[in-house]
Amino acid sequence: MREEKDARIIKREILPYLAPGIAKLLWGKDDKFFAGLEEIRLRIKSPLILKIGDRDYTINRRGEITTRLDDAYVVEGEDIYRSIASISDNSLYAFEEDIKKGFITIPGGHRVGLAGQVVYKGNNICILKNFSSICFRVAREIKGCAKGLLPYLIDKNGQIVNTLLISPPRCGKTTILRDLARMIADGIHIPFPHNVVIIDERSEIAGCYQGVPQLEVGVRTDVLDACPKALGMMMAIRSLSPEVIVTDEIGREEDIASIYECINAGVAVIATVHARNIEELERRVLFKELLKSKSFGRGVVLSRRQGPGTVEAVYRWDD
Amino acid sequence: MGWLKAAGIVLVIAGSGLWGLMGARRLAQRVEELKNLRLALNFLEKEITYMHTPLSSAFKKTAYFCAPPLSCFFLACSERLDKKAGVTAAEAWMTGLKELQKISSLKPEDIELLKTVAMQIGMSDTYEQHKFLALLQEELKIIEQKAREEAQTGGKLWSYGGFILGALLVLLFI
Repeated sequence: MREEKDARIIKREILPYLAPGIAKLLWGKDDKFFAGLEEIRLRIKSPLILKIGDRDYTINRRGEITTRLDDAYVVEGEDIYRSIASISDNSLYAFEEDIKKGFITIPGGHRVGLAGQVVYKGNNICILKNFSSICFRVAREIKGCAKGLLPYLIDKNGQIVNTLLISPPRCGKTTILRDLARMIADGIHIPFPHNVVIIDERSEIAGCYQGVPQLEVGVRTDVLDACPKALGMMMAIRSLSPEVIVTDEIGREEDIASIYECINAGVAVIATVHARNIEELERRVLFKELLKSKSFGRGVVLSRRQGPGTVEAVYRWDD
Repeated sequence: MGWLKAAGIVLVIAGSGLWGLMGARRLAQRVEELKNLRLALNFLEKEITYMHTPLSSAFKKTAYFCAPPLSCFFLACSERLDKKAGVTAAEAWMTGLKELQKISSLKPEDIELLKTVAMQIGMSDTYEQHKFLALLQEELKIIEQKAREEAQTGGKLWSYGGFILGALLVLLFI
């Protein structure tokens, strides 16, 4: 059932944006292939890479999935050009701000990362041009994936505890974060629903396309799409009266300062951070101080040991 | 027999005169089309650089802004992109130009100039789009000026030349 759904989503929402030659090769694959597909990577003059689980595969010109890169379909400049044209609707200028950040979100909330020649002026990226690679990341919502975790994030009064999700990239942080937001906003598996605001700087949590969430984030959720985290948290407190703020990949000094503001304003924060474990996180000065301040009541360490979203440990810092 | 001869003379002179007038009209029409093209590109440039309108909609709006045959060209480009069948802006532009050549008074060198921007249209940031569209308009302005001079001198030549040629033919045949 899930395989079928994944295949349908990828065929409808991702393949039309690929260069026709590549899309044609992938179109006939069976549902099982699409169920595990996480990334499609196009690099100029290099083999087409398909990330399925933890392994890299490719496809040859006969349309067979293989691990042998010497037999792979080699991506040409034309493939990159055609894919970029489709993604941007032949209007790169209309996506200038997104391109500066290095990605474009396509309908369905799938993120397309871009690489190429960076034009720099002062401390700012002016534009990215002469694209050399594209990475399609399949956005998956797995409803209920955070069901087992949610009870650990609620205190005895039924309130959400400030929580930090810790994991390296590709361990399912964002998927879990999205599901947590949905369940908290809809009042699923918690005593009562909460008003949630998602500060989605990289358009990954809600997968917004032109400001509208493409993934299910709950009926009491507001999304500040493409908004810098620090600014977004302050905006949300002032205007959206949130009970819970959800945000991804904190790391800058201003993010931490805004988190202190939220927590001291009575708003619960659920955030994610990149690190393999607590020890690694504590080696970063900003986070060492943050953990020491006991601002976060819970820490959840995730890994891919038993697939994305494996909960390795739940720390209780508020006891 | 005399009336048949007279009718033949009238027909030859009128036919070649008409041919000459049509030649003169083509020259005048080319000037008008070049001017309209320049204005249409200016409109398209504003849609792209200030409004950030997606290219297919920008083409459509430009089509409504200008008169035929240019409106047909921009509308055809827009329709091709709207189909979302993997057609790139460059392909839509080039196919549109082939059709424009058939229905307009533009010369092959005018069409060649428009072909040079096919790969750039839509596929860069606003600054780059502004740069090449402004350059294209400048180049069109120069061509338009030349075409205007050509229409003034050549127009007379075509108009009178047609009738003179007709008269010469009549003299030759008699």
